[in-house]
Amino acid sequence: MTAAGPPGRRRPRPSPWTVVQAVLAGSLLLLFMLPIYALFAEAPFPRFVAALHNPQVGASIALTLYASGIAVAAAAAFGIPLGYLLARRAFRGRAVVESIVALPVVVPHLLVGFGLFLLFVPGTPLHHVAAALGLPVYDSILGVVLVLVFVSAPYTVLASDLSFRAVDGRVLEAARSLGAGGPDAFVTVTLPIALRGIVAGLLLSWARAVSEIGGLLILAWVVYPSGLYPGPVSTTISVYIYNLVQLGDLQDAAAVSSVFLLIAFGLFLAVRLGERYGRLPWGRGELVP
Amino acid sequence: MSGWVVDGVESDLGGFRLGPVDLEIAPGRAVAVLGRSGAGKTTLLRTIAGFLPADRGRILRDGTDVAGWPPERRGLGYVPQGLGLLPHRSVERNVRYPLELRERPDAAARTRELLERFSLTRLADRRPAQLSGGEAQRVAIARALAAEPALILWDEPWQALDVEARYELGHVLHELREQERVPVLVVTHDPGLAFSLADRFLLLRAGRVALATDATHLLDAPPDPFAARFVGFENVFDRARLDAGGSRGLAAWLLERSGPEGIAFAAPGVDGTGAPGPWRGVVRTARPTPEGVIVEAVVDGLPVVLRTSRSRTVPPPVAGGNVAFGIDPGALCPLGASRRPTEER
Repeated sequence: MTAAGPPGRRRPRPSPWTVVQAVLAGSLLLLFMLPIYALFAEAPFPRFVAALHNPQVGASIALTLYASGIAVAAAAAFGIPLGYLLARRAFRGRAVVESIVALPVVVPHLLVGFGLFLLFVPGTPLHHVAAALGLPVYDSILGVVLVLVFVSAPYTVLASDLSFRAVDGRVLEAARSLGAGGPDAFVTVTLPIALRGIVAGLLLSWARAVSEIGGLLILAWVVYPSGLYPGPVSTTISVYIYNLVQLGDLQDAAAVSSVFLLIAFGLFLAVRLGERYGRLPWGRGELVP
Repeated sequence: MSGWVVDGVESDLGGFRLGPVDLEIAPGRAVAVLGRSGAGKTTLLRTIAGFLPADRGRILRDGTDVAGWPPERRGLGYVPQGLGLLPHRSVERNVRYPLELRERPDAAARTRELLERFSLTRLADRRPAQLSGGEAQRVAIARALAAEPALILWDEPWQALDVEARYELGHVLHELREQERVPVLVVTHDPGLAFSLADRFLLLRAGRVALATDATHLLDAPPDPFAARFVGFENVFDRARLDAGGSRGLAAWLLERSGPEGIAFAAPGVDGTGAPGPWRGVVRTARPTPEGVIVEAVVDGLPVVLRTSRSRTVPPPVAGGNVAFGIDPGALCPLGASRRPTEER
């Protein structure tokens, strides 16, 4: 076989290792893409357009983005400090805490919903607290957010833990001796260096939150308007699609899935492109050769 | 008093004990901390910087004990191994960092001045990962100076620098001493840097101060084999090595003249420049170097380094050949002895 290409310039032949990597990576990407392709193929174009214009689908997507947004904000507010604690502080019972953080990832999500359901059964202390605050949990935005935080926050905690651990202690010490107190050093050194990894964890948390269904089927199948959610009666998009599948309306289910997948893909792509070409503060990481 | 005094500082770090360490650093002075790996050099620096607790003793800055102060209040420029540059900030923003922390209104002007002074202006927008070793060192020192420290602590400044960068950095450090009068405490394995920069030498052994002295004394009376190698003796034997060498021959002759820690001597000449003598050995290797041909020979089981000048007319010794030389007893340096004997053979 002769090498193709313009005369005088020989393209280097890929090494066997490169070929192995390409085959392995390509196989996995194929596995990711084929079911997605099947969904798009199942949805006739008119159904896809109808889904785009369906106000119920719009409300469901809005509810999903709203609830997952709150969940990710909560994961950031509570998960990043926990990740920092695990990465930087030595304390007794640390292995237990680490195992507790991993629990939500392994517990079947129907059980998550069931557990939260039991916590708020009338007569329990938490039911009294929620009632006193005027915050319904069942079939409410609060119920959705509780489930989403439970299933998604561990990814932020784990990513933060790993990212904080990776910050070179000598860089921190140099900054401290140059005049940065503890909080200054955290804001100007630790957080910016760890941010890329933390953002990756937040993206994973968000992805996990929008795809959640098991816990919601028990705690908040339908979401009624309340003080925290002024929108129409709706369901999250995963429950919406599940309902369509249950009704046997597979083409509509595929069409709505396609619409949501495009939105999710667009969001991920925007963040990645922003990291690469934009001015997102955690972007521009150097590739390791 | 003005300057820095480390007074009887001790710490127990669970498995490693540092101190007691006593040390004075006057303004404009430089002290080199020497010692084997694991002797406690970096531990001492980190204790003075406030990252490790001092269980006992005082760290006085101009007479004020700062031992209980947090690192950011001690007024130090600590440059750790690896330099500790902020990887997410450009060169310019690294240098500006201490000024930002102090909310200095002249931050921009002062940063420009420092970048200019350390020839960093054209590198201002680069990230630390895009710098050469010498450039990164210049950024580290410019940034340390931006903090206007009362003492610079520098851990292994010459690590992984090429010859050119070392020369350049040596020049910068000298300027620092001459112009800024900032005292420097430097940990180094490099004799070239230590002798060109430091006035005082602190030799640590297993966490304790084995010797605190000036250059002349260190050169004249190195206390142990490590110090003897550091000051440039090519032939260094500890007592155990000589004891194992038998009751006759070179080992026995050296043992008779050895100090408690062993003995050292410079490479004897083998081309008529050294004292003539009875020692004969077999050449193992002969390497031409800028200082002449360095010959490694085995004499009565002991490896001895010898030297000949590089000559176009006289062929150098070759591996496997025989070589004869003398050792001037006056040039022998007993290690760990209180003073050098001047015996003749």
